[in-house]
Amino acid sequence: MPQYQELPCGGQELDIDTALKDGILGGAPELGDATAGDGGKQPVELRKMMDELDAAGDGGGDEAVPAVFICPISLEPMVDPVTLCTGQTYESANISRWLALGHRTCPTTMQELWDVTPIPNTTLRQLIAAWFSRRYTRFKKRSADFHGRAAELVHGLRGTAVPKRQPLKGQARVAALRELRSLATNHQSVTKAIAEAGGVALLTSLLGPFTSHAVGSEAVAILVSGVSLDADAKAALMQPAKVSLLVDMLNEGAVDTKINCVRLIRILMDEKGFRPETVASLSLLVGVMRLVRDKNHPDGVAAGLELLSSICAVHRPARCLIVSIGAVPQLVELLLELPTECVEPALDILDALAIVPEGRIALKDCPRTIPNAVRLLMRVSEACTQRALSMLWVVCRMAPEESAPAALDAGLGAKLLLVIQSGCGPELKQQASELLKLCTLNCTSTVFISKCKLTKTIQ
Amino acid sequence: MSVLTCVLDSMGSSCSRSDLLSESETTENAKSADIDRRILQETKAEQHIHKLLLLGAGESGKSTIFKQIKLLFQTGFDETELKSYISVIHANVYQTIKILYDGAKELSQVESDSSKYVISPDNQEIGEKLSEIDGRLVYPLLNKKLVHDVKKLWQDPAIQETFSRGSILQLPDCAEYFMENLDRLAEADYAPTKEDVLHARVRTNGVVQIQFSPVGESKRGGEVYRLYDVGGQRNERRKWIHLFEGVNAVIFCAAISEYDQMLFEDETKNRMMETKELFDWVLKQRCFEKTSFMLFLNKFDIFERKIQKVPLTVCEWFKDYKPIAPGKQEVEHAYEFVKKKFEELYFQSSKPDRVDRVFKIYRTTALDQKLVKKTFKLIDESMRRSREGT
Repeated sequence: MPQYQELPCGGQELDIDTALKDGILGGAPELGDATAGDGGKQPVELRKMMDELDAAGDGGGDEAVPAVFICPISLEPMVDPVTLCTGQTYESANISRWLALGHRTCPTTMQELWDVTPIPNTTLRQLIAAWFSRRYTRFKKRSADFHGRAAELVHGLRGTAVPKRQPLKGQARVAALRELRSLATNHQSVTKAIAEAGGVALLTSLLGPFTSHAVGSEAVAILVSGVSLDADAKAALMQPAKVSLLVDMLNEGAVDTKINCVRLIRILMDEKGFRPETVASLSLLVGVMRLVRDKNHPDGVAAGLELLSSICAVHRPARCLIVSIGAVPQLVELLLELPTECVEPALDILDALAIVPEGRIALKDCPRTIPNAVRLLMRVSEACTQRALSMLWVVCRMAPEESAPAALDAGLGAKLLLVIQSGCGPELKQQASELLKLCTLNCTSTVFISKCKLTKTIQ
Repeated sequence: MSVLTCVLDSMGSSCSRSDLLSESETTENAKSADIDRRILQETKAEQHIHKLLLLGAGESGKSTIFKQIKLLFQTGFDETELKSYISVIHANVYQTIKILYDGAKELSQVESDSSKYVISPDNQEIGEKLSEIDGRLVYPLLNKKLVHDVKKLWQDPAIQETFSRGSILQLPDCAEYFMENLDRLAEADYAPTKEDVLHARVRTNGVVQIQFSPVGESKRGGEVYRLYDVGGQRNERRKWIHLFEGVNAVIFCAAISEYDQMLFEDETKNRMMETKELFDWVLKQRCFEKTSFMLFLNKFDIFERKIQKVPLTVCEWFKDYKPIAPGKQEVEHAYEFVKKKFEELYFQSSKPDRVDRVFKIYRTTALDQKLVKKTFKLIDESMRRSREGT
C-alpha cells in the first residue's frame, strides 16, 4: 500500500518508493535504476516490448496503460516523451512533426508557444519503461505457464473461476476457446490440464443443436487435439443432436474444421457403444465426399477417405447410400489425381462398394473405370494392383462384350502380362491370368498382340 | 482555310440549332439520367437486402414464424395491432367449438361405441345456437354469457372425447389453448397478449413481407433481411413461384406433428404426404437452383406429445419406422427418423449439380420465441458464412 505523509500545510504527499513498489506508478524494483545512461538503447527495447504486448493482445493485462503515459497526438504510449514550455508532454516524433508543419501552438492547450524547444522528460520515460517492463515480465511468466492459463480458461468458460464469475458467453467465449485451442495444439501437455479442469464435459456440453459455428469449430478442434476422452464423454458425443452438429460443420466449415469433425467421428466410431446407423447419414456422406474431392487440401482428402473406408467396413447399408450419392464415378475420376498414399484407401472403398449390386452397376456405368484401373496396375503398390485388378474383374465379368475390348484398348494386355511376369504373389498372378483369359476370349492372337503393342522380343 | 471557316461556321450554327432542341432534350435527358441513377441506386440497395421466402403447406407455421420475427426484430405489435387480433381470436373460438360440435354429431352416428359421442340435451341446445353464430358472416364478440355457453359445451364429456380424436377433424392447433383461456378472452377490456396473437389462426391471403435488421451481440453493420410469407394452401403455385427467383434462402416449414392429419382442402390426403410432395416440387424448381434451403421441422412440441400416443407408421412415408423404448428416447429416435427421411428426400430430389447448395435442418417450435431467436441467430451466421465464402 502506498504511504501518504502528512504535510505541515495540511496536504498529503505520496511516498514515491512505496508507490513504485506497489505499482501505482508502475515502477518495478528490479529496474529501479533505469538511468539515462543507455538512453539510445532504451527506446528500442521499450518499443519492442510494447509491440510484443500489443501483438499478443495482452490477454494477461488487467490494467490499462495509465493515461499520463499516452501521447495526446497519437494516443499511443510514449517511448520518448518530451515536454513543451506549456507543461504538456508529447511523443518526441509527433510533436516534431507538428512543429515542422509550421505550427507554433501547443496542440492540447492551444496556447502560443513562446519557446519551441522540447525538453526530454527523463522522469516520465523511466516510469514508462519501468511500467512496461514490469508488465512484460508478468506477461512472459504467464505465457510460460500454459497449464495454468489453460485451467484458467476452462474455469472461465465453466463459470467455476475464483472469484466466482458468470460463465463466458458470446464473443468472449469464442475468444477463450480460440486461445485454449492454440494452447492445446501447440503444447500437448496442456491437454491433461484441460481434462483435469473439467474441460471435456464443458466442451461436450457446448455442442448442441443451437451451437454457433464459431463455438462449435473451436470446441471440436480442442477435443481432437489429444485430450483424453473417457467412455462417458464419447457416449455423450454420440447423441444424435451432437452428431448432427458435427455433420453440419463438416458441410459448412473451413478445411481444418472439416478435418477435425472427420477425426472426431472417427474417434467415436472406434468406441464400443457406437451405433453404426449414426453414420448412415446422407448429409455426412455428401460432406465427406466434398472434402475428398477438394484437391487443394490433401490432408482433407486423406482424412475423408479414411473415414469413408471405415464407414464401409463398419456398416453395410451405408454402402448403398454412398453409391446413391454418386460417389463411385467421383472416386474413379479422382484415382489418377490422388496423392500416392491416398490411392490405396480409395481403391479399398471402391472395392467395398463393389460388393453391393448398385456399386457394381455404378462401376460398370462409369466410363473412366477401365482406363483408370488399367493405368493403376503395377503403378503404386501390390495391394493397389490387387484392388484395381479385382475392380476390372468385376466390370469385365458383368459386361464382357463391351468391357473386354475397351480394356484391351486401354492397354490391359501388356499390363497383365507384366503382372504375371512380376514378383507379385501367386493369387495375384492367378487373378491376372484369369482376367487375361476372359478378355481375350473373342480376340485373335494378332489383334491381341497389336493391342498390347508388344515388341518383337517378347512376342 | 475554307475548310476551317466551314467548320467554324457549322460549329456556330450547330450550337444555335441545338439551342432550340437542347432545352427539351436536356430536360428529358436529365430526367432519364435521373431515373437511371435511381434505378442503379435501388438495385444496389436491393443487393444488400437478403431475401428469405417462407414456404410450406397450409398450417405449417409459416405465419407464426413471420409474427415471431416481427416480435423479435421489429417493434413488435403495438396496442392497435394487438387489439386488431381480438376478432380473429374470437372467431377461432367459434370455429373450434363448431368443429367439435359437428364432429361429435358425426362420430356418434359413425362410430361403433357411439354413446361416447352423444352430447347432453342442454349442451346440444348450446351447440345449435353456436353453430348458427358460426354460420353468420360476422362473428359477434364473445361476452360473458357466450363464454359461459362455450365453456359448458367444451366441458361436455362427448366433446372432450371428440377432442381426443381431433386429428381426424380439421381442428386448428390453437383449439386447446383458447378453450383454456376463455374467461380471459371475454373480458371487456381484453387486450390480446403476444402469446394469444401467436396462437391466433388466420389463413394468409396473398403475399406479406417485412424488412428487419437483426442486431446481434457484435452489433455489426446493418444486415438487412426481408421475409416473404405466402399462403400455404393448394393453389396455382407454379404460376407465381418463379417471381421469387432472386431469394437468398427458402425457409421451408414442415409441421412434423401432422403425420396423422388430413388436408383442409382434401380430406382424403394425408398432410405429411402433401408436405413431402410440396418439398419435392420446390426442390426441383429451376428458380431455386442456387438457393439455400433451411428446413424447419416445426411443431416439435406437439410432435413430442403425439408420438407417445400415435405411432409414426400411420403415415405411409414413415411406414418403415421401428420404435425403440418408450419415453424421451423414443421422441429423439422418432425425430431423427423423420429428419433422415427429409434428408433422403432432399438428396433424391436434388440433381447432382445442386447438391452443393446449402441445406440445413432445424428443429423448431414456432410458438417459442427464445427458440426462434436462437434458430434465427444460427441462420444469420450460416448466411453470413456463405456470403463471405468461408
